[in-house]
Amino acid sequence: MTHACKVAEFFDGTGGPRTLIQLDNVWVSLGGKTVLEDITLNLQEKRFVGVIGPNGAGKTTLLRLILGILKPERGGVCVMGMSPTELKHELHHIGYVPQNVLFDPLFPVTVFDVVMMGRICCIGPLRFARKKDKEAVHESIEIVGLQGLEKRLIGELSGGQQKRAFLARALCRETHILLLDEPTSGLDVPVQNQFMELLTRLKEELGLSVIFVSHDVNVLARYADEVICINRTMQMQGKPEEVLGSDRLKDVYRCEFDFLVGAGGDD
Amino acid sequence: MLAYGFGQRALVGGLLIAATCSVLSFFIIVRRLAFAGMGISHAAFGGVGIGIALGLNPIATAAVFCVGVAGGIGWFSRKGRLHEDAVIGILFSASMALGVVLIAAAHAYNQDLLSYLFGSILAMNWMDVVILAVLTALGLAFLIFFFKDLLFFSFDEETAKASGVPVRFVYYGLLITMALIIVVSIKLVGIILVSALIVIPGATGLQVFSNYRGVLVVSTVAGLASIVIGLYLSFQFDVASGAMIVLILFAFFLLAVTLSPRRSYMQKLLKPASSPSREED
Repeated sequence: MTHACKVAEFFDGTGGPRTLIQLDNVWVSLGGKTVLEDITLNLQEKRFVGVIGPNGAGKTTLLRLILGILKPERGGVCVMGMSPTELKHELHHIGYVPQNVLFDPLFPVTVFDVVMMGRICCIGPLRFARKKDKEAVHESIEIVGLQGLEKRLIGELSGGQQKRAFLARALCRETHILLLDEPTSGLDVPVQNQFMELLTRLKEELGLSVIFVSHDVNVLARYADEVICINRTMQMQGKPEEVLGSDRLKDVYRCEFDFLVGAGGDD
Repeated sequence: MLAYGFGQRALVGGLLIAATCSVLSFFIIVRRLAFAGMGISHAAFGGVGIGIALGLNPIATAAVFCVGVAGGIGWFSRKGRLHEDAVIGILFSASMALGVVLIAAAHAYNQDLLSYLFGSILAMNWMDVVILAVLTALGLAFLIFFFKDLLFFSFDEETAKASGVPVRFVYYGLLITMALIIVVSIKLVGIILVSALIVIPGATGLQVFSNYRGVLVVSTVAGLASIVIGLYLSFQFDVASGAMIVLILFAFFLLAVTLSPRRSYMQKLLKPASSPSREED
């Protein structure tokens, strides 16, 4: 299936809400196994979109598809009006925070070095950091509240601080879209809340579009503007209370959920 | 030593190798490729065997063979359903076996073979030095030009890929660079000991500094100093230069482990014996 992405419409549009991500009947196979099947999806920009689904449902694959790391077997993908081929040259608009970065705690890089990795798309020949790159790194570190820790080894930080450092790395470019894969996994509840509050603030202040994968229905209920439920195929898309309160979600997970829609959202 | 041409060539060749190995060593340590380095260096024996059996330059055939083995390690690890260490174990032993069979078939078990196994830097001619300079310059250029990409890739491959780092290119580039540097280093220390040159400098640097800039400085200083001191001592005491260089490198490593401010051994040793305190009661 041919699919025409309209990059000009995205960047030179009239200012109304724009379609950020458009998937049309997308199929993805990995190692001969179908991981995503006939996914059709439209996401508007500047929304806080949560993705939910059981293990193996294809949530991370969906993020990797949006990032252009994976190519669809069938169907069309447009991100910011660009095809995956065009997107390769515009990756500086996307910030990515992976689920778990399995690195050696003694890996000899500081917080500053890790955040500077986010500039790799933008820095010049030989990857020598210029003044504006260093300023962007310091600004990102400050935004996530890690100032004063720039010279600390990344392995010396707590789990929550490391997540913030990886968030700073994702922001340290010309980020329009922030993709996060289970950003709160492994964090205790107060740190989870702090992290999600930070994301909400950043989304508003920087005008970001945030897409995050989570298994935590309470986090989704409290922070997402919109929730997508997938289980290899598209199951539901809608407001958190519609999706998370649906009987279909119980069918997808084959269990009951207890959550408080909007609980604490006005704190 | 420098009054002799062979001493000058040994020093120049050794320093060129050490400079490249020291930077390469950093990535070998942080990317955990030490076993791959050992596997490729031992696989060089198969390449040498092919050269001897076919009557070609054994170092040239070892270079082609090692690049093939490095590519094989990369390809099987990423595409196959085998872990990297298993692939290395298979290719390493198969290559060694190939070398043994070919050399035996060519009836070439002689003194020359020992120079491939344990190095013969003092027997280098200026053409060897020129070839070595070209290959080490290419290796160093790759490591410097793609340093930030290699660092990102070594730390967090998935995000590096998502950020536009050409991960496949830098991974195979690192393996091929390692293969070529190993082959040119065979003249210096031989197949058996070459892995020391690409492992110990980086490991030494990591004992002293926690930041990659410091690690690289210590790695380079240790690598270069081991060549100068090792060659000098081997000349003075008439012992094998390759083995002496490796022993000096090992001594630097032990010193770094013992004296490193990152470790507590020395602090405990130097701490004045405290009088019995109430805490002990």
